[in-house]
Amino acid sequence: MKLTGILALGACLAAVPAAFAQKWEVGGAVGGGFYTSQAVSSPAGSADATFKTGLSGSAWVGNTTSSHWGGEVRYDFQVGAMKLSGNGAEATFGAQTHQIHYDFLWHAGSSEARVRPFLAAGAGIKVYRGTGTETLTQPISRVALLTKTQDVRPMISIGGGLKFRVSERVDFRLQIHDYLTPFPKDVIAPAAGASVGGWIHDIVPSFGLSFLF
Amino acid sequence: MRNNFLGWMIALGVILGGSATAGTFGKVVAIGGSASDLALDEPRGVLYIANYTANRVEVMSLANLTVQTSINVASQPSGLALSPDGRYLVVTHYGNFVAPASPNNGLTVIDLTTNGKQTFVLGNPPLGVAFGLDNKALVVTSQEFILFDPITGTTQVLDTVAGVTAKTLPQPPATFPLTILGASMSTSQDGLVIYGLTDTLRFRYYVNTKTLQSVGYTASPPLGPRVVTVSADGSSWAGGWALFSSGGSLVGQFPNALGALNIGSLAMDNKRGLMYAQVPEAGSATTSAAPVLQIVDSDNLTVREKIQLSENLAGKSVIASDANTMYSISDSGVTVFPIGSLDQAHRVVASQEDVIFRGNFCDRRVASQQITIVNPGGGRTAFTLSTTTAGVTISPSSGITPATVRISVDPTAFQNQKGTVAALINVKSAQAVNLPTQIRVLINNREPDQRGTFFDIPGKLVDILPDPSRDRFYVLRQDKNQVLVFDGTNFSQVATLRTGNTPTQMAITFDKRYLLVGADNSQLLYVYDLETLQSLQPVAMPGGHYPRSVASSAKAILVANRVSGSVHTIDRVDLGTRQATQLPTLGVFANDVDQNTNLVASPNGSSIMAASANGNLWLYNANADTFTVSRKDGTSLSGAYAASSFDQFVVGGTLYNSSLVSVAKFDASTGTTSGFAFIDGSAIRTNAPDPASPGNIQRVDLTTATGIRTTRFAEAPLTGVTGFVFTRTLAPLYSRNSIVSLSVSGFTVLPWTYDDSVAPPRIDRVVSSADLAQGVAPGGLVTIVGANLSPVNAASREIPLPTALADSCLTVNGLPVPIVFVSPKQINAQLPFEAVGNVTLIVRTPGGVSDNFNLVILPTAPRVFLSGNAGDVDNLPTLVRNTNNLLVTDTNPVHRGDVVTIYLTGMGTVTPAAPAGQPAPTDPLATAIVQPDVTLGGVHLPLYFAGLSPGQVGVYQIDVSIPANTPTGLTIPLTINQGGQATTINIRVVN
Repeated sequence: MKLTGILALGACLAAVPAAFAQKWEVGGAVGGGFYTSQAVSSPAGSADATFKTGLSGSAWVGNTTSSHWGGEVRYDFQVGAMKLSGNGAEATFGAQTHQIHYDFLWHAGSSEARVRPFLAAGAGIKVYRGTGTETLTQPISRVALLTKTQDVRPMISIGGGLKFRVSERVDFRLQIHDYLTPFPKDVIAPAAGASVGGWIHDIVPSFGLSFLF
Repeated sequence: MRNNFLGWMIALGVILGGSATAGTFGKVVAIGGSASDLALDEPRGVLYIANYTANRVEVMSLANLTVQTSINVASQPSGLALSPDGRYLVVTHYGNFVAPASPNNGLTVIDLTTNGKQTFVLGNPPLGVAFGLDNKALVVTSQEFILFDPITGTTQVLDTVAGVTAKTLPQPPATFPLTILGASMSTSQDGLVIYGLTDTLRFRYYVNTKTLQSVGYTASPPLGPRVVTVSADGSSWAGGWALFSSGGSLVGQFPNALGALNIGSLAMDNKRGLMYAQVPEAGSATTSAAPVLQIVDSDNLTVREKIQLSENLAGKSVIASDANTMYSISDSGVTVFPIGSLDQAHRVVASQEDVIFRGNFCDRRVASQQITIVNPGGGRTAFTLSTTTAGVTISPSSGITPATVRISVDPTAFQNQKGTVAALINVKSAQAVNLPTQIRVLINNREPDQRGTFFDIPGKLVDILPDPSRDRFYVLRQDKNQVLVFDGTNFSQVATLRTGNTPTQMAITFDKRYLLVGADNSQLLYVYDLETLQSLQPVAMPGGHYPRSVASSAKAILVANRVSGSVHTIDRVDLGTRQATQLPTLGVFANDVDQNTNLVASPNGSSIMAASANGNLWLYNANADTFTVSRKDGTSLSGAYAASSFDQFVVGGTLYNSSLVSVAKFDASTGTTSGFAFIDGSAIRTNAPDPASPGNIQRVDLTTATGIRTTRFAEAPLTGVTGFVFTRTLAPLYSRNSIVSLSVSGFTVLPWTYDDSVAPPRIDRVVSSADLAQGVAPGGLVTIVGANLSPVNAASREIPLPTALADSCLTVNGLPVPIVFVSPKQINAQLPFEAVGNVTLIVRTPGGVSDNFNLVILPTAPRVFLSGNAGDVDNLPTLVRNTNNLLVTDTNPVHRGDVVTIYLTGMGTVTPAAPAGQPAPTDPLATAIVQPDVTLGGVHLPLYFAGLSPGQVGVYQIDVSIPANTPTGLTIPLTINQGGQATTINIRVVN
């Protein structure tokens, strides 16, 4: 799926809550992503496959439909090289991810409180893109292949945080999300005879500002 | 910009001016008198020319190369020097008249800013003048060195001069300024050192310290042309035919120089590391040969190019600061050379020095090869080619550069000459300013019994030496002043070492760490580190000693010299101090040897034998550290020479014992001796009846001196020539895998057991070279698997491919087959395009002829080469992504949208037709007549090209693009189907 298609889907999702909108919010945040790893096993050995920690950026458009409930469409971008390690060797390959998803938000406390804890849960898609320079060989290539290609996976998002009222129109957010996808087997492709499965978590703490209107 | 444009126009005008005189370089500017010195004033755009006989300084415009004004000065202006600040022009006057005329020796200072002149009288005739960076002029007279300050007009006597005899005036008719003055001076580019030369004195003056050093010398012939030129930093300088280091060592010399003081010139081009030199050879003055300017390396005088002059140069040359123009005194006055625009002049060169035709018993057809005749500057120059050798034809024999010329050889014309005939093709051009070198055509027509694989090494090879502890060997190329270092496994050249001029012999020190190289035109013994193959500080020989031969024992390193003078000597080298000392005596014998003396050390370091062309033999004993034997049992010696570790020595066809008494004579019927090598307790020797014969090699029973199993060579080993009568041409390699012999084409390699009986060859199967699978097609590369297919491993390094390699050749239905590689169990070759259907394959080797091997050659049999490797993964199919020009691997997979090139063989005939063994054409491309259908994962791939890969032999390529609907995965089948024959490989495809 092309990135433009993904963005179009996100725009449609954003349009759904708009029908019920009472108060709107636009925001952005920066943070860092921390991935869990998955073991790739093959007759030639095994390796841990993951993405290196990298900077992330987010943007969202949200609304509140009641004093406790709300929702937001989010776009997240993250830079972090793919990494394979095992048998005393390590291979890395440039990568980035794009994700778009809709999260439902439940807030504790009243909408006028200066500090509002919230929980978030939702779903969307995540695009893994290998961006490194292709070479004739890679370390541990008998186990898995770090590939310059694109891999689109469904994604579950859960998280939470705190909203601090800075002014009538501005909130400051501290938040943490866990983005879960099935393992991206196209960009980190198991070599012939190798296998990998399961989900990979991308835990992203971040902070940012929201503008309310 | 305008100045640049003007400069180019002048350069163009000069080149065209040169061209107008048909094949000469430079523009002559006549001055109506005899020029004696030059000074270049670039800020004013003029060249000052001292017109000795017309009593004026001509001022030539650099813009239009005409003498626009003249400065009248006192009589006989002999020397010129321009102060570094450009203000003063100092003119010396050599007017050493005798009664009844009066002497008028003097010095004039011209203030170029005011045109004011002041003349000073000198008591002695001035020989030369040069400015240092301090704006003071060093004036050399016949009696003293004077420092002259042009500002104050004061002089300071630095030193007196002894032994210089100044010529008196008048002189006989047709005597030239340089002959009268006999002196020259020049300043380094940095202005800090002034070098000078007179008939009997060499001197240098350090400007900063005002230190003058002079030394008397003798030279025969005289150091002519009497011109001095200095390197930018003053670290070296040339005077006459000699090149000196700053310390005074003679680094190199032009060979066989005439020594005339007034003919020729020198100028160092510090920007290019070159020297432009006209140094006539002895005898040239009496011939009608056109004068020639040599372009040589400024460090060792290696000749790069020879340029024809319209008239002789006759004194100093100066090069402009941008190194684009050289101004030289010449017979008419001045000749101006646009050296920076030499590429725009007409020149002609051949693309290769040698063209080699390897005929063989499988192939008696007329063979042809193409060479290219070009103008190195890219221009169009008419040329003609000719040869006097019957059986060699050239088509076309004339043309305009760039041109491709076909040289054809009819083997029947050479059928009685089983060695290598070296025919010469003369390259001539009425337009070209250079003297093109001849093309050597090497034609070999060997028979099955002739052993060895010869390698083409152009040039004059004079010595070979195996490394005693490394699997490599060294070959001395005399015409290019090089040691060529070859790998002993694959015989490829791995390094080139620069030597002194005209290198003659090599030696390796007893500790096996250093290579020593002597030369006939340098007074330095060159030293190289054999581990790093780097040049080290050379050994300075005593003055006048040219180290022609060197040998190293366990105790001493000795050098046999040609010495300027009547007595030639043996010197001892101290490698630690890099000095050599003439031995006072050779033991109880006088140190007086023939100039043609060669040394050789026994491998165990116990002794060094010296063999002289006049018949003298000497033996240095390392234990006694002196010469213990001197004998002369004949009037001459020549040929091969060698020393063993068992007190046995060989010169020519004679075996000597430890007292150098002849103990045996070898069979003389096999021809002139060439090489001899002791191997343990036995020996091998080579001989040649004549250069075009096969020559032969035989093992020698040292107890009886009888030759054993005389075996014919592929071509004749080299034999001695006048002046260099001793030859060392055999090198048994350290690995004991091969024996290498210098031979007509370069060198010939024989297996260590070259004379073992050889079983007849046997063919087991024939497969595609691409993947070693069954199915071969015309024009494809095939692998013949069998036994006894060749005595050695050898790979062809020549294009077109030879039809015989390392004594093996093969035919298919009688057609010779071009060979890529041979080994005992495998031959790789290219099937002729004419071979199709049921054919018979036969291999011929020195062991005999194989049985017929019946084979079906399909019209097409595409096979992708599985020769790629990436890291530790081998046998990868040779697909290349055009995106990054890398082999397709799992980590560099094919992407949708890529363009991929597949390299394969076996695609059959092509159009236009391409002959087997020849590189595929580039324009037009040779397209496969039967086009393939290529699918990837079942998707048909659009085809851009399918045919022979341009420039390759037997290699085809298919260029395809990868559509967007191609399936992705780790192992997607790529299938090439051509004419009903298909091959499939699996590749990774990603989005």
